[in-house]
Amino acid sequence: MGQPMIRAEGLVKEFTRPVRRTGPLAGLRSLVTRERVTTRAVDGVSFTVERGELVGYLGPNGAGKSTTIKMLTGVLVPTSGTVEVDGRVPWKDRTRNARGIGVVFGQRTQLWHDLPLRDSFELVAKLYGLDRPDYERALGRFTELLDLGEFLDTPVRGLSLGQRMRGDLTAAMLYGPPLLYLDEPTVGLDVVAKARIREFVAETNAVDGTTVVLTTHDLVDVERLCRRVLLIDHGEVLYDGDLAALRRRYVPYRDLVVTLAREDDGPLVAPPGTTVVEEPRTARAGTGASDAARVVAFRFDPAQTPTPAVVAAVTAEHEVVDLDVTDPDLEAVIAEIYSSGRVRA
Amino acid sequence: MTSAAQVVALVAIGRQAVRSALAVRSEVLVSAVAVLVRVVLVVLVWRAVYAGVDEVSGVDGPTAVAYAVLGAVFTNVLNPFWRSSLEMRVRQGRIAVDLLRPVGLVPQTLAQQVGTTAAAVPRCVLAVLLALAIGALRAPAGGALGLLAFVVSTALGIAVALLCNLLVAMTAFWTLEVGGALMVYRAVAQFASGALIPLWFMPGWLRGTLEHLPFQAQVFTPLSVYFGALGGGDLAAALAVQALWVVLLALLAQLVWSRALHRVVVQGG
Ligand SMILES: Nc1ncnc2c1ncn2[C@@H]1O[C@H](COP(=O)(O)OP(=O)(O)OP(=O)(O)O)[C@@H](O)[C@H]1O
Ligand SMILES: [Mg+2]
Repeated sequence: MGQPMIRAEGLVKEFTRPVRRTGPLAGLRSLVTRERVTTRAVDGVSFTVERGELVGYLGPNGAGKSTTIKMLTGVLVPTSGTVEVDGRVPWKDRTRNARGIGVVFGQRTQLWHDLPLRDSFELVAKLYGLDRPDYERALGRFTELLDLGEFLDTPVRGLSLGQRMRGDLTAAMLYGPPLLYLDEPTVGLDVVAKARIREFVAETNAVDGTTVVLTTHDLVDVERLCRRVLLIDHGEVLYDGDLAALRRRYVPYRDLVVTLAREDDGPLVAPPGTTVVEEPRTARAGTGASDAARVVAFRFDPAQTPTPAVVAAVTAEHEVVDLDVTDPDLEAVIAEIYSSGRVRA
Repeated sequence: MTSAAQVVALVAIGRQAVRSALAVRSEVLVSAVAVLVRVVLVVLVWRAVYAGVDEVSGVDGPTAVAYAVLGAVFTNVLNPFWRSSLEMRVRQGRIAVDLLRPVGLVPQTLAQQVGTTAAAVPRCVLAVLLALAIGALRAPAGGALGLLAFVVSTALGIAVALLCNLLVAMTAFWTLEVGGALMVYRAVAQFASGALIPLWFMPGWLRGTLEHLPFQAQVFTPLSVYFGALGGGDLAAALAVQALWVVLLALLAQLVWSRALHRVVVQGG
């Protein structure tokens, strides 16, 4: 133990490109002036990841997630700052670092297009110096876990997206790396495929103790898998910590959603400590309420007003046929943070 | 990774390249037919050229015909229609993945090229057998020792060709529109290597120029050895020049590669 799996400090990555000019003699002018424009994709990111953690690395499009992961894998050299993975500087020691990590870029396969999946795996095994029995064992296990049997002999170009992603995950984990980077591993997959991949990631983390850094725009992935999240935007860390704490801290309210017995009940009386939020909602099935039934939410802070008190006050005031207490979903929390650009202290 | 493990990995990549090259049956068939047809055509042409003539520039008919056959076979292997894996992977943006392997990208690429070259061996054997059958080819000059010299020279020639091809493929790191440049390169390489016309027939100034380029080391040198055109001292010198090209091109490739890598890891491709 001791040293963390990943340690990043003040990580910065800038991309510099020549300016593309337009207008007459554009090519000539850009040749002569050599004007350049710099983008700061990652702007002073610091964090550590302990061995065995499963961390969600989240942020809106263009936040700098993939760029960070590329620096952690050694494919990109940081402009400044330091990064250490398992005690090594990835870009200085790229090939050695490669042996200890598995990487899946969901947008891009690492498998060989014309080869059957099985041949791709065999090549990976050889590349990473896996001996035959270990390879057979690993392949057997992943074939079962990810249900690969049906398409092991299909060339990669003939696989569906979900099948390909399962193949990519297997290729990344075949040699048992202690650290796994997943950059959007569920992008474009249907619910069943997503669930299967989540299960696999959870098992890998729990059973093998693999450290996982997960990037995704699917917040269900995050809720199912991550206890800790790192939120970044514009290359800066907005939040680093517990998922539940983030939710509590950022959106400290709860909704009591009720279906009223009568359709037009006029203006509603909000009990002390609550506010009425009227958004278009429909009654839940099986309550006997008509489709036109009025559904409203009473929003309150559970730390100030206990939930039972709100329920009692609302039901005393209104005749209701159904009620439900809901916490704001993660999507709303994240959307709020992205749009305001910071986390409330 | 130990160097033994690296070798295992590279061999695996090479074998995979062989399998990829032989995967599509129609493609294999077409390229085999192409080289056979080419052999027949050059034999017909050169026999016609030599009809009623004993010698041209001190080269007799059978030698010229046999040279043309071997030239066709060599160029078929060494200057393939461009399908460099490196150039394709740069264009598809897959280079990041390749950099994440525990084996260097240049060794990976070379192993792949060697594999592709090896996959061409069966069709070359066929072409040679055909040439023997129609009496267009004879055994190398100089007996067993001559054969050995030819094999060594061929190996060096292949090394020179692979390094040249690697250098050209690496231009993909700077410009994505390599297609046209590659066509030109291929045409120049074929001509300058002496695969189409032996350097023997070329005017002095042209031959003098071509002798300073790496291309003649790919085809013309091994074929000169095959036909015993080089005596003891000249033979040693020719092999030394080939070896020198291998070293120079390898150093150049390393330099270009370090610039290319810098582009990828610092500027992001
Ligand atoms: N090679 C590059 N050259 C120039 N700019 C780049 C390069 N790679 C990324 N960028 C820029 O850096 C910023 C961060 O990109 P990055 O791919 O890291 O975002 P991301 O968080 O992964 O986004 P997404 O969720 O869309 O995948 C973007 O503004 C992008 O345009
Ligand atoms: Mg990304």
